[in-house]
Amino acid sequence: MTFRTKLLLITSLTVAGAVALATGAVSLWTRRTFEQLDRERRQALLRQFERELGARGAEVALGMERAAASATALRIANEAGRSNADLSLLVNDAQELAEKENLDFVEVLQPDLTILSSAHWPARFGYKNNWLIARPDWDEKQAFLTRVPLPEGTAVALMATRRVMAGDKGIILVGARRLDSSVLASLGSAPGMRALLWFSAQQVLDPEGALAQPGKLAGLAAAVERSGREESAVVDWGSDTRHSEAIQAMPLRRGGQLMGILMAGTMLDAQLRLQRSILLTGVLVSLGGILLGLLIGLWTTERVTRPVMGLAAGARAVAGGDWSTRVPVTSEDEIGELARSFNTMTAQLIEQRDRALQAERVAAWRELARRLAHELKNPLFPLQITVENLRKAYAQQRPEFDQIFAECTSTLLDEMANLRTIIGRFSDFAKMPVPQLAPTDLNDVVRGAMKLFDAQFQTEGRPKIECVMSLAREPLPIECDREQLGRALRNLVLNAMDAMPEGGQLSVRTARTGDVVCLEVADTGQGLTPEESARLFTPYYTSKRHGTGLGLAIVQSVVSDHHGHISVQSDPGSGACFSITLPAADSRQEPGE
Amino acid sequence: MRRTVLAWIAVISLGLACGALEGARRPRYGGTLRLALRAQVRNLDPSDLAVEPLEAAAKEKVVRQVFETLVRLDEAGRPQPQLAREWTHDEVKKQWLFLPRAGVEFHNGVPWSPAPGSLAYPDDVPLDQLLRELARPQNAITLRASDGTLLGTGPFRVAEFQPGKLVKLTAHESYWGGRAFLDAVEVRMARSYAEQALDLELGQVDVVELPVTGVRRARQRGDPVATSAPLEIVALVIDRTKPPTEAVREALALTLDRPAIQGVLLQRMGEPSAALLAQWLSGYAFAFPMDRDIAKARQLAAGAPLVPFRYDRTDPVLRPVAERIALDASEAGLRLAAGAGEGGVRLTTWRITSTEPREALIELGRFAGSAPPKRGTSYERERALLDGRFILPIAHLPACYALNSRVQGWIGAKWLPSDRWDLGSIWLAEAAR
Repeated sequence: MTFRTKLLLITSLTVAGAVALATGAVSLWTRRTFEQLDRERRQALLRQFERELGARGAEVALGMERAAASATALRIANEAGRSNADLSLLVNDAQELAEKENLDFVEVLQPDLTILSSAHWPARFGYKNNWLIARPDWDEKQAFLTRVPLPEGTAVALMATRRVMAGDKGIILVGARRLDSSVLASLGSAPGMRALLWFSAQQVLDPEGALAQPGKLAGLAAAVERSGREESAVVDWGSDTRHSEAIQAMPLRRGGQLMGILMAGTMLDAQLRLQRSILLTGVLVSLGGILLGLLIGLWTTERVTRPVMGLAAGARAVAGGDWSTRVPVTSEDEIGELARSFNTMTAQLIEQRDRALQAERVAAWRELARRLAHELKNPLFPLQITVENLRKAYAQQRPEFDQIFAECTSTLLDEMANLRTIIGRFSDFAKMPVPQLAPTDLNDVVRGAMKLFDAQFQTEGRPKIECVMSLAREPLPIECDREQLGRALRNLVLNAMDAMPEGGQLSVRTARTGDVVCLEVADTGQGLTPEESARLFTPYYTSKRHGTGLGLAIVQSVVSDHHGHISVQSDPGSGACFSITLPAADSRQEPGE
Repeated sequence: MRRTVLAWIAVISLGLACGALEGARRPRYGGTLRLALRAQVRNLDPSDLAVEPLEAAAKEKVVRQVFETLVRLDEAGRPQPQLAREWTHDEVKKQWLFLPRAGVEFHNGVPWSPAPGSLAYPDDVPLDQLLRELARPQNAITLRASDGTLLGTGPFRVAEFQPGKLVKLTAHESYWGGRAFLDAVEVRMARSYAEQALDLELGQVDVVELPVTGVRRARQRGDPVATSAPLEIVALVIDRTKPPTEAVREALALTLDRPAIQGVLLQRMGEPSAALLAQWLSGYAFAFPMDRDIAKARQLAAGAPLVPFRYDRTDPVLRPVAERIALDASEAGLRLAAGAGEGGVRLTTWRITSTEPREALIELGRFAGSAPPKRGTSYERERALLDGRFILPIAHLPACYALNSRVQGWIGAKWLPSDRWDLGSIWLAEAAR
């Protein structure tokens, strides 16, 4: 991953993370705020219901007060007080009282709680009002919640009782108003809100009547029954969250008995819509932020990395040999300082290289001069001696002058030939031809070159040199100039033979390692010192008494022309091993591939 | 002098007042009598018998104003001449000959003149049975007019008929028994008790049906109320296709508190009864015991399943009765579940149209779901119908009407006890408002 990518990634992630965090925080805060608002609205609805309950209870109590004071009640009390009371005269009286006082349930009872007349269940005359007996505090002035039995079940109602006396006898009037949908509708809740009344798993009311799917509230109702206090839950009325409703449930109790549960619900549809809208806005803002972050990141990265990239390109150019590379200095910051340092460094490198080249040239020229002087001095000395002998013989007019002349001129010619040879070698080195590369098996090259030495290895009277060839079994294809590479190998072999004047073992090995083929020529000669190893390939350097110092330089030049590499490993007294590595032909790729 | 003048003025005023009172009592012609009914009469063809009891009873009342038979049954159920003046027996031809009344015309003015000897019937059935048969509405004398309408000879003719909604009758001017006092009669149908009460209160009708539970209140209000003899039986009918077990049926019978139901819920109207025929019809209704035995009922009902219980929940009379029955049954551990499942028990009513016990038993046999035996006394035949407790009578109730004060001639001996209308003798104290 490039520095630019990393920088871009970090910048973008930072911006995106910050925006996402901000969005999440806003979303969370919004949700909590809405939930809190909803909770407060539900609480308000519950309190409103309590107030409504109190007001209705007061109405019921007032209605019962009026009923107890009515002529009808007095007549009923008189009739009921008779020993042979005619119940048929009373059977409709409860209904009459109920209609007059707008009550849903009215019963007229004898003091022993036997029903004389019932508005909501006329058929119950003569039976005991056992549901009222069950309440120890029924004889209160205030209205209270109770469950009224009906033919089809029970109803929760606000009830009040009054006694009506006629002489020493009397009756009890029981009146109640049902807690039904009208109570819920009268609360007039805000849009999206509603109140529910739970009486049983099958009997749940909403402001419009019986609630569909009352079973959905069973869990919440059970929780309220268990805990005896307010509980809340989210109820899903449909398959998705659009039909979810947050419900707060409050138990309606009377003397420890659960009469019903009031539930205040708010539909989460609007809240969810708003939350989704905020979330969507947040996501859009986030995406915009991320995009902006990306653009800013790109711009910043471009600005930051452009000089760095320039530096990297400059460094690559320097590594590729172009020491004249310069990078532009575009700022005064650390990057600018770095660019200036780079330019200074390359300038100093060129200067040092030039200086080193010059020194090396001087050294080479000195070496060349020394070698030339040395090489030329050897034949010059016999020439000088021969010429002086010839002059001396001529001056002495020695009788054997002719013989001496002939010998001297012969010697002169030999030495001059020797000089020509020396000059030819120098000339050859200077005129190294361009290699003509062709597909070749390295093993073939090795075998061809080594065949030339077979006679020498087998010559009698010379120190015995054992040649051990260990060639790779598979072909080692290379692109090479067969002549030049053979010549280089021959130089190495000659070099090795020179290193073993007392005889020894010459090993020639070939092998393939990955994309390169290796050729090793090792001897068991006297070896090289580290200094000799370091300078061995320098032209005109030789450790031998009669060498020109060009043999290994030629070898290195040939190997280099074949895009290869030559190295030597040696320790004094333990021989030397020259290793040549060349690229394998089947792995060489064309430039640009 | 002054005293004399004052005395004369007083005498004249008294005379005028008496004259006015006498004028109000004397029948007068004119006006339209408006009635309201719960029933829906779907056609007025007397030969087409209505199946639904309420419709059948209402249809008979209306049809008899339009169509007449050779013979009619009086309040005591005795055959009386109507279009036949008299009947004689022809010993030779072994047949009964009916002599037509003279001066009878159909509503289109065509005289009714049957061919001599055409009103003859074989004497292979007893005369009483023949006369009762001839008194049935489906044996009414009719004439098919050219436009297809069916014409009768009764005191009123059909002016307008909207099936199930409205019947308008107008007086038959040349009725052989004399023109009716009323110019027209308008019968509104399919009106509930509550709607009828409202109609009467608003003065939109003159006669309405009254539930028995409303009679006392109507009387307390001062409304004229007419009641018939108990003609309507209230009973529990067991579904014979999916009946509860006999033990359950017996337990149910033992829980019924008929006196409480009649004495309180039904406002002492009619009579509690375990018999199919009312006491005034049969004379032996008391012989069917009404004893309650909750302990025994509890034993019989032990482990009994839920018994489906159906009744008309909108009926102001039946509903409290049904609730009391369910309440009493629950005392014995018998659970009657309103509207649950099929079969079970149904609380319903049946209005008999015949006041003759034998005929009435045949009608009630249809109600009970089985025909009475052809032989035996009425008691034995009724006993046979009640065997198996597939029908449990509760009470017999009268037909009740609340009237507008301008309706005259309704409350009288000739209306009781059969609940037959004789609109020809009704008159209105003043013209319609």
